[in-house]
Amino acid sequence: MSDPDCIVFVIDDDSLVRDSVADLLNSAGFTARTFGSATEFVQSQRPDVPACLILDVELPGISGLDLQTELTKSGIEMPIVFLTGHGDIPMSVRAMKAGAVEFLTKPFGKQKLLSAIKEALLRDGEVRKQRSESFELQKRLATLTPRERQVLALVVTGRLNKQIAGELGTTDVTIKVHRGRVMRKMGADSLADLVRMAEKLKI
Amino acid sequence: MDVQPGDVAEEIKRLQRCIRDLVSLFALPAMWSGAEPYQIVHTLLDALLRMLQLDLVYVRLRDPGGGVPLEMVRFAPSRDQAAQHRPQPREIGEVFKHWLGADPRAWPPLIRKPIEGRDISIVPLGLGLQGEIGQIVAGSERADFPRQTERLILSVAANQASIGLQGAQLLSEQKQVALAREKAEAELRERATGLEAKVRRLIDANLMGIFTWNTEGRIIEANETFLNTVQWGREDLASAGMHWTDLTPEEWRARDEMAVSDVMATGTAQPYRKEYFRKDGSRVPVLVGAARFEERGSDGVAFALDLTEQKHAEEAFRRVEEQARSIVDSALDAVVVMDADGMIRDWNKQAEETFGWTRPEALGRRMVDTIIPAHYRLAHEKGLEQFLKTGQGPVLNRRIEITALRRDGAEFPVELTITPLKSGDAWTFSSFIRDITARRQAQEDLRNAQAELAHVNRVMTMGELAASIAHEVNQPLAAIVASGDSCTAWLQSEPPNLEKARAAADRIVQAATQASDIVRRIRALFKKTTSISTPLEINEVIAETISLAGGEVQRKGVSLNTALAVNLPAVLGDRVQLQQVILNLMINATEAMAGVENQPRRLTIQSLPSGTGEVLVSVADTGPGIDPQHTARLFAPFFTTKAEGIGMGLSISRSIIEAHGGRLWAAANQPRGAVFHFALPFVTNA
Repeated sequence: MSDPDCIVFVIDDDSLVRDSVADLLNSAGFTARTFGSATEFVQSQRPDVPACLILDVELPGISGLDLQTELTKSGIEMPIVFLTGHGDIPMSVRAMKAGAVEFLTKPFGKQKLLSAIKEALLRDGEVRKQRSESFELQKRLATLTPRERQVLALVVTGRLNKQIAGELGTTDVTIKVHRGRVMRKMGADSLADLVRMAEKLKI
Repeated sequence: MDVQPGDVAEEIKRLQRCIRDLVSLFALPAMWSGAEPYQIVHTLLDALLRMLQLDLVYVRLRDPGGGVPLEMVRFAPSRDQAAQHRPQPREIGEVFKHWLGADPRAWPPLIRKPIEGRDISIVPLGLGLQGEIGQIVAGSERADFPRQTERLILSVAANQASIGLQGAQLLSEQKQVALAREKAEAELRERATGLEAKVRRLIDANLMGIFTWNTEGRIIEANETFLNTVQWGREDLASAGMHWTDLTPEEWRARDEMAVSDVMATGTAQPYRKEYFRKDGSRVPVLVGAARFEERGSDGVAFALDLTEQKHAEEAFRRVEEQARSIVDSALDAVVVMDADGMIRDWNKQAEETFGWTRPEALGRRMVDTIIPAHYRLAHEKGLEQFLKTGQGPVLNRRIEITALRRDGAEFPVELTITPLKSGDAWTFSSFIRDITARRQAQEDLRNAQAELAHVNRVMTMGELAASIAHEVNQPLAAIVASGDSCTAWLQSEPPNLEKARAAADRIVQAATQASDIVRRIRALFKKTTSISTPLEINEVIAETISLAGGEVQRKGVSLNTALAVNLPAVLGDRVQLQQVILNLMINATEAMAGVENQPRRLTIQSLPSGTGEVLVSVADTGPGIDPQHTARLFAPFFTTKAEGIGMGLSISRSIIEAHGGRLWAAANQPRGAVFHFALPFVTNA
């Protein structure tokens, strides 16, 4: 299940390991990009496509675990598969807690690596899907007038038009018009749909 | 009587002359009164010579004191002048003695002997009843000598002379007695005045209080010092008629009475301590002694020495002593003082607690039997003997750690300082002894903790080393595995991508080469760090390693034995690396025996010199031994039979030993188990 639109980033200071892993991924149909250090990776231009990171723990300079922390801080939620020469338990616990997909001890088999990669990409796809959905809703929300936002916020709490009209100091006929427009602009099929959208938008 | 009728007139004249002579003789003793014997003899001889017309007369007087006899001789004046040689009285005496014999009592009344060609009639007579005063000898050439009247005169003269001489002798004796008495009296007088002056001087010198007394208890006279001592005035003494009992506190009266009775019985009272009242009622401590002037007299003299100063000094001394005592008693160390005979002379409270003997029990005991364990006693006694002989002692004046003996027989470690002190001619030895059982225990605990820490460190170092080796080696292994997989994948793809497959195969070769480089580098690393080479006692290195790993070994139920040769030559090497080798061999041996049940687990470390200039060390176990099929690969890197092993231990160990110019090999132990040997060359030029 290779997806040419996906990219696997490989960071290892050992070029032989880096190249071998990248070649193995290529042979399995993945696109791989290699980096010799964390800094190199951070400074690179990366396309906005589903991706994951194969990261060596024992990197010179910024270590793999340090990079994981840095990425999380910067809001880059890229799933990580760690590689290590000699993994110990505290290290792997820390990595997994911080959201690592897998912690592989060198040398590792092809299947272990590929299944970890697939899992990572799947997770990234999910994240991306959610992130784009939320982006669309934000776009729709931006088309509402301030009055329509007020009405939206009150509608999703389950209040009746009459109640909303009382709170906003207008008639229930006016509210009914606003409500129809909100439903249309947000692309909601039902009140339930609108409530779900409001939750995602944290209204 | 042969009287001739014609001679009657002559005879009468002769008789008349005789009577006259006799009267003269009878008058002689009165003349002689108070005369010396020689004066008596002198007049006697003159009288006889004249009266009897003798040719010679000789007298010999015995000296009453047994000294030289007084001899005197007179010759007729005609003979005296004629004589060419005038014989000495002694010569005459000798001649008479020869003629008459030695015993005057046996003398004949008359003899005739020729003297200078003429016969002489000689008549000897004794002086005194038995001739005890002397002898008188009269001689005359006349043939009729002595006539009857002449013999009468001679005997009367002898008699008178005897009386006179006895008187003279008596007088002389009386004189001598008087003289002697006078002399004695003079001496006595002189001595008395001298003694008195001396006593006076002694009293007036005021070196100490002196007073004279009588048996009634009166103080008759006292010197200044005494008055100062009791602070009474001379006028008090004179007016009050002071009694010594007035000066004496009640409780000292009985002692005074004893002294008085001593004086009465023996004439003196030995000095004793007492107190007198001063005029102001305070008391003064004194030392008094007394003596009677005369044997039966009632007067005497006494001295009183003021002991106030001494008492102060004694009190000060006692205070100092008490302070010293309390310091010694409150000391946290046991203080034991021993004399040169080895007897305990002091023993403080802490000593009581430390050793379990109370002070009264300990004093007078021999120190060697009390606190010194049996195996140190000989050394102690020799040391003491040596010190007393040479003044040198190896354990003196410094802090040493040694074992002491408690009363219950328990031995315990102490810190000991012995200080010799010379007091007069005698040595004493003060020992300060501190029970360091707790400190030892703490040290032991600390050492154990340190050993544990060192062990942990060592193990961690080994662990880190293993980790770093693992990382280093796992890198190329990861590359090999990944490239192997991709190579297969490229070959299996449709169509097979041979170029990609070859590239993958190239990387595999490259990675494998890298791996072998890493191993070589690790081994080289050990070779390179061998540069810290110092001469080492291999037994020390073994002992240090045992202190690191011994606990671990024993925890695994393994008994650890050593058989270390003494006086091994030094080897040149790196202490830590050699420790690592020994540690590695010990751990391997221990782990090899982990599965041994129902049989002893014994680890034996041995050192011995080889005949070929090497020190041999062997580490033997009683485990299952080395599987013959593993023998070839035993020292190869990454060869291991242990689940947790990385297979570097023996490889590294061999690298270390070879870097030291030595050899490491394995063999079978008898009756079972394995033994690893290594040999290191001696340091050749020391």
